[in-house]
Amino acid sequence: MTALPLDVMTGAVRGGTSILYAALGESVAETAGVVNLGTEGSMLVGALAGYAITAHTGSPWVGALAGGVAGGALALVHAFFVLDRKANQLATGLVVLFLGLGLTSLFGAAYVARTATSFDAWNVPLLSKIPWIGEIFFQHDPLTYLTYFLVPALWFVLTRTGIGLLVRGVGERTEVLGTYGHNVRLVQYLAVVAGGFLAGLGGAQLSTAYAHAWFENMTQGRGFVAVAVVIFAARRPLAAMGGSYLFGAALALSPALQARGWQINQFALDSLPYLAVIVVLVLLGKKRAAEAPEGLQKVFEMSTAT
Amino acid sequence: MQRISRWTALVAVLLLALVATACGSNSDSSTTSDGGDAPGKGSEAVGFIFVGPKDDFGYNQAAYQGAMAVKDAFPDLDVLTAENVPETDEAARVLEGMVAKGAKILFATSYAHLDAALKVAAKHPDVAVVQQGNLIKGDIPANAGTYFGTVYEPVFLAGMVAGKQTKTNKLGYVYAYPIPQTIANINAFELGALSVNPKAVTYTVNTSNWCDTGKQEEAAQSLLSQGVDVLTQHQDCTATITKAAERAGVMVVGYHADASSLAPKGWIAGSEWSWADLYEDIVQTALDGKFTGSKYNANFRSGLKDGLNPFVQSKFGSSVSQETKDLVAAAAKDIAGSGSPFKGPVVAQDGTELVAAGTVPDYATIEQKMVVFVKGVIGEIPKT
Amino acid sequence: MSAITFTSFDRKATLRWVLALAGAAAVFGLLVLTKGANPFEVYRSMLDSVRGSSSVEGILLKATPLVLAALAVAVPARAGMVNVGGEGQLVMGGVFAMGVSLAVDGGLPGQTTLVLMCIAAAVGGAIWAAIGALLKLFVGINEAVSTLLLNYLAVNVMLFLIYDRWKDANGSGQPATRALASSERFSLLGSSNVHAGLLLALVATAAIWWVLRSTRWGFRLRVVGGNPEAARRAGISVGSTLLSAMLVGGALAGLGGVVQLAGAEFKLRQGFLATYGYVAFLASWLARHKPINVAVAAVVLAGISVAGDSLQLDSSLPAATVNVLMALVLLAVFGWTRTKAVSS
Repeated sequence: MTALPLDVMTGAVRGGTSILYAALGESVAETAGVVNLGTEGSMLVGALAGYAITAHTGSPWVGALAGGVAGGALALVHAFFVLDRKANQLATGLVVLFLGLGLTSLFGAAYVARTATSFDAWNVPLLSKIPWIGEIFFQHDPLTYLTYFLVPALWFVLTRTGIGLLVRGVGERTEVLGTYGHNVRLVQYLAVVAGGFLAGLGGAQLSTAYAHAWFENMTQGRGFVAVAVVIFAARRPLAAMGGSYLFGAALALSPALQARGWQINQFALDSLPYLAVIVVLVLLGKKRAAEAPEGLQKVFEMSTAT
Repeated sequence: MQRISRWTALVAVLLLALVATACGSNSDSSTTSDGGDAPGKGSEAVGFIFVGPKDDFGYNQAAYQGAMAVKDAFPDLDVLTAENVPETDEAARVLEGMVAKGAKILFATSYAHLDAALKVAAKHPDVAVVQQGNLIKGDIPANAGTYFGTVYEPVFLAGMVAGKQTKTNKLGYVYAYPIPQTIANINAFELGALSVNPKAVTYTVNTSNWCDTGKQEEAAQSLLSQGVDVLTQHQDCTATITKAAERAGVMVVGYHADASSLAPKGWIAGSEWSWADLYEDIVQTALDGKFTGSKYNANFRSGLKDGLNPFVQSKFGSSVSQETKDLVAAAAKDIAGSGSPFKGPVVAQDGTELVAAGTVPDYATIEQKMVVFVKGVIGEIPKT
Repeated sequence: MSAITFTSFDRKATLRWVLALAGAAAVFGLLVLTKGANPFEVYRSMLDSVRGSSSVEGILLKATPLVLAALAVAVPARAGMVNVGGEGQLVMGGVFAMGVSLAVDGGLPGQTTLVLMCIAAAVGGAIWAAIGALLKLFVGINEAVSTLLLNYLAVNVMLFLIYDRWKDANGSGQPATRALASSERFSLLGSSNVHAGLLLALVATAAIWWVLRSTRWGFRLRVVGGNPEAARRAGISVGSTLLSAMLVGGALAGLGGVVQLAGAEFKLRQGFLATYGYVAFLASWLARHKPINVAVAAVVLAGISVAGDSLQLDSSLPAATVNVLMALVLLAVFGWTRTKAVSS
């Protein structure tokens, strides 16, 4: 019998990791000024590719890589239509979502019944024995551990390196960077594809490390949740981690309560993370709006002259 | 001033014409039956709709296999199947599509497909519509019916195995919705366990979904963290929870289908569907024009007593002793005879008496009574 | 003095559309080929399936709430607002309508209740959309973001209600409300399954078309959408125009919710109008937010989606595969049929 907070926090990490991957990816894309509502689609194709390739090769690592590649490929479609064909970002993102839904339905049917080796939980020696912290953070699968490195790494790259400066500049001062000879378009492409790669990785984690299965539409909106997390976190990796775990906690809370004999209407709980995001936005709203990259602000302003 | 392109105008006019056809249309064969045709008689096709995928290691897979058995048994019949049909009005549209393709016998295999099924039945008196699992309240239309097996009987028997094998005396049940058949299952499981192990308790968690793998995983983990060492479920897709149990090294009791290949070490018992005979009989009855007034033109339930229960025991796991198997066999014989998993006394969670001592409730009474959990089940039913 | 003029056929634009659609069809054909299906057979079956009158009914049934939800995107869009909240506004429309039915509980003649339900649905949708508008006006939160989040809240509100206070006690444990009384339902048109809600949708389309082009409010809307600065300088209150645009949009979506509830579903249940809001968003974009085009686009997308049934019944492909076709068509149109470059 374990304590409720412990269960919920462990569940937060367990369930929040796939969301975190997608949120990190979307953070990169949005920093470069591109919104990808199709992140959910990238997660889905990543989930399928991860599971399917793992089933074929027997290696979940190869599967995870394939998942990332699939997610990135779908994001490439988004990037092309948005950057080259100048289509509206929000609408294109939704279209990409439907594309992901349809493709995974078409190619995924064969994998519903297949078993695939999955990422098994691996307790980190020593660290996993620490009371509470050990169970919450160090008794998960390798892809979860990877995020512990990714979050600070991404923060470092985005805020302390030349590449990060370039990406931020592209989102912030699109025209200015263009005149300085930087290939703005290329940077944006890479940012969006990288975002899709991470989302795909998150999808692969969902299917090969979390649910250990593939089912149609199994992401159930996690990609959209990731977009909300990115907004909540103002594209900051560490805050994105907190936001993702918040949603993970909400997913874990209801079963944890039920297993202890309490029945609460879980939908009240399910609403909490979304309300939390709105509250945060209200409290920090004006400040955040001013902070957002200029390119991003333009996305959300709409001209009817389409 | 809005400039309307000619193309738009053209398409708009075409669409209005379509609307007109739909409004006035009476000429479609499916709507003008001579009214005197027995439902399903001489049908050229049979339609099946499933709420999930056909290889979910569970409910829908079993139903699909039943549909394939119908295909084998009736080579001249066109068997139409549709998976992942949501439990909303969309199901009515899919069923209508099947009727348009000549299906006069329809199987709506998921619990909440009933409303859509009845809608289609009302519109097509010459089509026999049967629904799997729910109950038609009030008057039953001449061309409709529900059918199901008394699932709680094999679940009771599986519960006996769980009660015998558990070391922590804690069993875990993941379910989807607090519908009567589910509550009956959970109760039967606990009662079965209690009959061989008075200390057994069953923890319950619901997912509000037949097949959300994320919720299933969380539910399984929350039960495991409570020290449960036997997991079972009432879900359509069974793979995730079965695998979660195997990974955690606990025992698993199957449901809907034989998933023992997913849990070679943990599998101890289970129950599964064997729809073929029942489906075939329903189809034959309808084809012969004998549907109305038949036993299927009702809320048909078949159990061990009729010998026709489409829900049967799965094989035992290798760790189950012969003694346990004998106990189970004896109980099965008793239920098939004059007994029942719910033979009194049965006490509810709050202490009230559900079934008086010595009473053996019949199938109808059982479905009526199953709105509360019995003592030994831990968890609340979401209140109305 | 003609109120409507027809633009002449633009040959180049037409050619672009045809090529774009042909390209989408070809890619889809290749994809189904990889799964062993014959693309020509697949298309033929899809077209055949769509022609039967029961399919036409299915398309119109699906299109009814979709048209309203698409208009709900179009009206705010003309004012420059991005309303991604169709999903939530549709649901809130259904919730408010059901709430009225439960509150009245047979105490009024059914027809009256139905009218009240429609009004309540419009109010419910409008309120939900207004939250997004107010968050933008007072806190600066972009409405695309807020309406997206509100979608999830709306669904959770509905689920909370149908699992708890509104659950039908006679419903055998399934989370759903009781059914609407038959007098509280939209009447059917002819002997088909299509219901009077369709007429409501068509009237709404015509009304919005007329309002946008012939009223002062419509004019203000378009000015604000085209150039907010100029509007401000011309003395137009931009804030109240944006708010009213969202209110109207939300009201339309709310109506979309009640037409589905009272025309087809008759109960509020899990999955109510799921994904309709997003498809409607795409329909409005496809049609550049012009009301009549939007309605047509909604019907077309409904048609593609219903044709998916044929994929499953005739071609042994999963029904959701039709989303690929829809996506390809939309990408083709977005990518290659705009006459001027759009900044986004």
